[in-house]
Amino acid sequence: MDKTFKSDEKLYRAVYPPELVAMYWKRDGSLSSAAFADPKGLSVDRGNYRSDDEVASDMSKRFTGRIIRLYVKNCTDIGAKVKYLPSSNNKYHSEIHGSEETVLLSKQQRLFLSHKAAVVL
Amino acid sequence: MIAKQMDIRANIKKYFDMAYSGDVIFVPRKGNKNVVIISEDEYNKITRSDIFSTYATSVISHASAKRERAVSTGSLKTDNLKKLEVIHDLKDGWNGNGAPAFSKSLIVKAGEIIKGLSIQPEIFPTALGSIQLEYDNSRHDHMEIEIGDGSEAEVFISTYDGKEFFGTVSANSDDINRKAIEFYG
Repeated sequence: MDKTFKSDEKLYRAVYPPELVAMYWKRDGSLSSAAFADPKGLSVDRGNYRSDDEVASDMSKRFTGRIIRLYVKNCTDIGAKVKYLPSSNNKYHSEIHGSEETVLLSKQQRLFLSHKAAVVL
Repeated sequence: MIAKQMDIRANIKKYFDMAYSGDVIFVPRKGNKNVVIISEDEYNKITRSDIFSTYATSVISHASAKRERAVSTGSLKTDNLKKLEVIHDLKDGWNGNGAPAFSKSLIVKAGEIIKGLSIQPEIFPTALGSIQLEYDNSRHDHMEIEIGDGSEAEVFISTYDGKEFFGTVSANSDDINRKAIEFYG
């Protein structure tokens, strides 16, 4: 798989904790920016131009939480860096970092991404 | 919805008509002397109800549906305290990526703050080991107050017109109350 990302590629994230799926949803149905704070890097699965259904089906084998979707462009628009970091059990694994040098997304970046995220499953 | 006292004064017919149409209008005032404007029909629902909390919950849901924050009622505060208990029960690695469990001292501190807040936020855990309080007002401004183990909480405000503000506030309910009233003011 190409290590680079085009702006129209989709990124998918399972929102934890899976047993408490409502933890990050606000009363008006929107997603809290707190769901995007991870000092170890925000893990996502790259779409690699698969359909939402195909990705959701694949991720559902490994996760039981809700799945949200972003575009690479959403990340690059705010200076965040998408890194392709495949693991032994997930060839699609990638991470969103605050920048090339900083792992944690800033508060502005988290809020922006929370507004852009769409629920897939 | 939330409305400033001065706006109410200047547009009292508009707000009365909104209340008559079913809107619930919260008016934050100094010293937490907040008031709520509702229609006679809504008032009658309260006085006829034996379970005020049921009504309060429906009011909150109504306001929340419009992306607006309700002034504190017992039920919203109770919901936040219950959620805090759930957060307290999260174990190491709860986010699937090694996030630590929340310290007892932070849970106690956050609980004391929530109990003392006159305008209740929505609360969320972060993988940084902190608790995030979120407020949204009718202008579509957004405020986050992040409480960690320290004596100061981080404040981040993003306004409807794209401006952003960062700061800190003492991590206690009095100072956070003042910040929230200022945010809605």
